[in-house]
Amino acid sequence: MTSHFPSLCSSRPPLAMDDLSLEKIEISGATLASLIQRASSSPSDVDGLIFGQIHRIVSSNLSDDPPADSLASSSSSDQIVATVTSFVCSGKTVSFYDPLGRVDSRRIDSLRVDSPDRLIGWFSARRKTANRPSMRELAVASSLSSQFHLPVEDLKNPKLTNMASCVFFLLTTPSSDQCIHTHEYRGYQFRSSKQRLEPRSVGIVNIGPAFRGHYGSFRPKSGFPPLICELDSSAMIVDRDEGSLGAKKQAVKDQKEIDALAEGLQVGDLKRLVGAEAANNTGGIEDMYEKMLAKVQSLASDVEKSSDRVFQQEKHNRKLRNRIARMGR
Amino acid sequence: MAFEGFPPLIADQLHYLLNHSPDSIKIENVWSGNKINPKILDRFTLVIPYCLDNIKWDVIYNSEYSIDAPDFVFGPDDEDFVPCSSTIVPDDDDDQISSLKKALSEWDNKDSKRLHVLIQGFRDQYVAYQRRRVGQVDDDRVKFEISTVLTRKGIEMQMVSGIDKPEEVKFAVPLVMDMNINKMMVVCPWKHQQKIYLQVVYPIVRKIESTPSAPRLKLVSSSELKALFSVDDVKLPPWMNEMCLAEYLPHLEETLERQIQEAVSAIDSRRSFIEALTLFLGRPLEADPTFCRQATFLTASGQFTFMVHFFFSTQFPKQQPTLVLQSCQHLNQSSVPVKSNLFTEYPWSPRWEVGRMAERVCDFLTDEAVNFKKYCNEVVLQH
Repeated sequence: MTSHFPSLCSSRPPLAMDDLSLEKIEISGATLASLIQRASSSPSDVDGLIFGQIHRIVSSNLSDDPPADSLASSSSSDQIVATVTSFVCSGKTVSFYDPLGRVDSRRIDSLRVDSPDRLIGWFSARRKTANRPSMRELAVASSLSSQFHLPVEDLKNPKLTNMASCVFFLLTTPSSDQCIHTHEYRGYQFRSSKQRLEPRSVGIVNIGPAFRGHYGSFRPKSGFPPLICELDSSAMIVDRDEGSLGAKKQAVKDQKEIDALAEGLQVGDLKRLVGAEAANNTGGIEDMYEKMLAKVQSLASDVEKSSDRVFQQEKHNRKLRNRIARMGR
Repeated sequence: MAFEGFPPLIADQLHYLLNHSPDSIKIENVWSGNKINPKILDRFTLVIPYCLDNIKWDVIYNSEYSIDAPDFVFGPDDEDFVPCSSTIVPDDDDDQISSLKKALSEWDNKDSKRLHVLIQGFRDQYVAYQRRRVGQVDDDRVKFEISTVLTRKGIEMQMVSGIDKPEEVKFAVPLVMDMNINKMMVVCPWKHQQKIYLQVVYPIVRKIESTPSAPRLKLVSSSELKALFSVDDVKLPPWMNEMCLAEYLPHLEETLERQIQEAVSAIDSRRSFIEALTLFLGRPLEADPTFCRQATFLTASGQFTFMVHFFFSTQFPKQQPTLVLQSCQHLNQSSVPVKSNLFTEYPWSPRWEVGRMAERVCDFLTDEAVNFKKYCNEVVLQH
């Protein structure tokens, strides 16, 4: 299970590789639902990669007395939390590792495509089995942890600490058919010092005031594109005066994309919807909406056709696989 | 066994495993992980005998990708059992671990022996794993027993612990290994090698005590062996204070060897007794040819025809056979042939010649036939 591969995920070598313990694993309700949906809709067992971030949260135990040793006292109350933001499902088992559980980093790269998120671990979903890690799952978690690392995000103390991609999610279904209890999931952390998968509590983060605290340490991963409106109003000019040539070029490019969507209708034309001329111009807007709807409809039928083709191809693949499995009999 | 639901190549491996394993492995549960066709089975629980108990391992294939190697889930108490990791046991077992790794990493689904090779290898690793666990127990007596008894082959150990269970160390010690019981039989009726084990259970007491309490001892054999020899009849020698297994076992084995020899020769004495009976009662209707534990004869007293069933204990001729008479002419109200009660007391001496034994039994039968006929007539008259 030992690896001789260098760290492939992080561009910087790990500075501190303590076997830190996670306090818990957080996942948004939507991501978890999507994960369960993917597992339950697949024809058989599947595995895949999970992405996210790991950050250090300092719990607030502030006091008026100056601490004697500020570093020691602050680190003692730190909590390290892993947050799952997305995942990718391989659609089969033994996808990015061999039957012994040795992870192949090239297969990981081809599976994650160019996901910008950081790899924090992996998941395994299997039906009608015990909800504890299998022999191979332990080996994969160990191999993955030894090959992939990511930095621990720490706002207060930005010194770089790395942590292994040690998160493991196990999704199972109960071995007897039940009406109510149909799915089980558990979160684990692989601890390299103990060579063991330790269960971790899974916190489900939802939107709402009660969960606001969870977003405090979060940095947005995908910024909105800079949508700069080309309005002739002078009030807007002040805001966008500064900016380099590159930013301007980017803005022009974005504008072109928006214009293509708007079917030649300029944003400035919207002005004409107000006032005396409005009645004459609504036709143009309606025209644009109709064109857009037609586009959406053709897109929908394209999607329908292509998913049918995907389904047919999958059926064909299954037949071929079954034929291969029967060969030699 | 329901193998129909498994894809053919998985069924082949399962067949091979169940037919070739030295321990009688069983399948307990079968499931399907396939959503499209839930009739295709691809996962099951194996019940594997270990240390006079069973361990359960789940084997998970993927029917959609049945050319892939299976995965395994071990027992809930064995989360540290990692049979394919050479980091934990760096020493002697390296050859086996590397061959196990090879069997998995170069998996060939057409090789029907593969699953058998893996399970057998895992079981060997499990023996070593439990031995390591027991070796880590902080108990001087257990440490001493391990160091003195380990030269014996085939000892299996198990650590028993749980939240609501007292901590215990279990040993399963195979006894009289030099004696091949299967070969002592003229015609061996058993598929598996018959073995006798001594189960030794050491309670682990955390308190410091002057003398540790005696272990719990029990002889265990397969139920098949009971036809020849019942271990429950063996009186275990007492366990003296401060005794250890290395002292205890030789005496026990000596007794056991003698008793097994006697049990095997008892078959011959039962056979010759049945043969002696044929002089008086004619050829038996039915007789157990392997262990000679049963024989049935047809006989008559005047017009009254009836059957005599002989049941022999393993202690024959010390214990006389039990007799039951069954009429061929009388049916009771539920249309079942009328039977007598068991006869266990009649003139008998284990010191008689077999001819004399047969003669005396037949004398007794001649007398008893009259009573039995009377009894049968009464039963018939009642309804």
